[in-house]
Amino acid sequence: MELYNNVGRQIRALLPYAPAKRAPYDAAACAPEGEKDRILFGSDTAYELGGGGKQSAEAVLFADLPEEQSETLLYGPDLSEISSDVPFGHITVVKMKESEDAALSSERLKTIGFTVFQLYPEGYHIRISPAACREQVRVAKAALQKKPPLSFLNVGNSLIKAFLRHPDVIAVQTAFITDPAVDYKALSVLSGKTKKITDAVQSTLQLDELDCASCKMKPLCDEIDGLRELHFRKEGKR
Amino acid sequence: METKIFAFTGKGGVGKTSLSAAFIRILSETYEKAKILAVDADPAVGLSAALGIEPKKTLDDVRLQIAESIEKGETGAAAELLSEAKFHLLDCIAERGNISFLAIGRPEAAGCYCKVNAYLKQVIEGISGNYDFVVIDGEAGIEQINRRVLEHISYLVLVTDGSKKGLQVIGTIRQVAEKLVTCEKTGVIVNRVPAGYAPELPDLLAVIGDDDTQRRNDMRGESVFALSEDSPLYCGAKEALKNLQENKNGIV
Repeated sequence: MELYNNVGRQIRALLPYAPAKRAPYDAAACAPEGEKDRILFGSDTAYELGGGGKQSAEAVLFADLPEEQSETLLYGPDLSEISSDVPFGHITVVKMKESEDAALSSERLKTIGFTVFQLYPEGYHIRISPAACREQVRVAKAALQKKPPLSFLNVGNSLIKAFLRHPDVIAVQTAFITDPAVDYKALSVLSGKTKKITDAVQSTLQLDELDCASCKMKPLCDEIDGLRELHFRKEGKR
Repeated sequence: METKIFAFTGKGGVGKTSLSAAFIRILSETYEKAKILAVDADPAVGLSAALGIEPKKTLDDVRLQIAESIEKGETGAAAELLSEAKFHLLDCIAERGNISFLAIGRPEAAGCYCKVNAYLKQVIEGISGNYDFVVIDGEAGIEQINRRVLEHISYLVLVTDGSKKGLQVIGTIRQVAEKLVTCEKTGVIVNRVPAGYAPELPDLLAVIGDDDTQRRNDMRGESVFALSEDSPLYCGAKEALKNLQENKNGIV
């Protein structure tokens, strides 16, 4: 989707040129699945990604990927190389099948985006605030003591597997960011912008307004390239 | 181990909070490896001081935060609300050893919170499975029974003093609970009574005399963990817990 291209470029510009680790999707190397609603207690936690008042950003973008191969990227130290709460970013790009029906497609964006809420890797307690676009993760001491220890690549594989269960998803690129040099505050702003786009796509397609001057979505359409075109394309099909 | 939920209720000022705290201490000492969730469901928020555990946030803070995010249009879909509730819930849980503490807080804002409450209830029910014991210090009276906040519990502990009013209140709670609460067992603790007082109640768990040591403990601002093991409150709570688990009656 072109709508996310601009914000995608801005996010990319915040990250180091090359990831520390990059691995193609491997269904056999997923993190062991934990129980839903299982709490990782403070006493069993080694540290919290994005915890202790540190910056955190989470976003799911629906955009084109150069290749159809799903992969996990890591910018910064891996789980076993971290020893205390650190700032954290988690950005996922999902490539979807093109759909003729824009309204249906927009409905699917949200549903597919919710995949991140339903991931329960063992020893990796994820919590996401959609309102603040934050993702914080408690990492278990036990998961780091295993041989080999739990890694971001395991978690990335689990997430990709969950996304690929949706028939409309072609490929997924998920990036974990723990590099202390990254501007997490700027990343957080861009995460908010990404969510705004996803919300706006749905709102725009539900609107019947054709006069931009009186439309409540005008400020958003002015800000997000392609949103206005999406709305009028839907109206034109009626 | 299946989660056992204890809920304390009764008239105001009869010592529900002190007894809840004593139960929590005894459970944490008796079952060292067990996980215990202490829920302060009383808007008076006294269990925190009784246990000496200070939460950073209450559930009411979370409720307000989520309600605000809905108003601002930041969250809306059911999956988002649930995720938001789960996110903040972890910040509400304060841990001390094998005890986790969660305070409902004092609702101060007007407006309807039914939707938010429903998600919070779902989240609390979800996390209960993480614990071996959940002890709820309930609000005085029958409101939480009426509103089905306390719907599925293992043990309903009715606390009263020796007054006729206190006994009437637990009688009313008992009648309402029979209709609205799924509960394995109900028992009564008669607290703060003069020496020699022995009420005749079918499901009496313990009769606890006036406890000067506990009063002094409160005045010093010390938690239940500072209370002597031979204090009437500690002994009474231990006896009540034993009787509740063994289905016996007792007088301390």
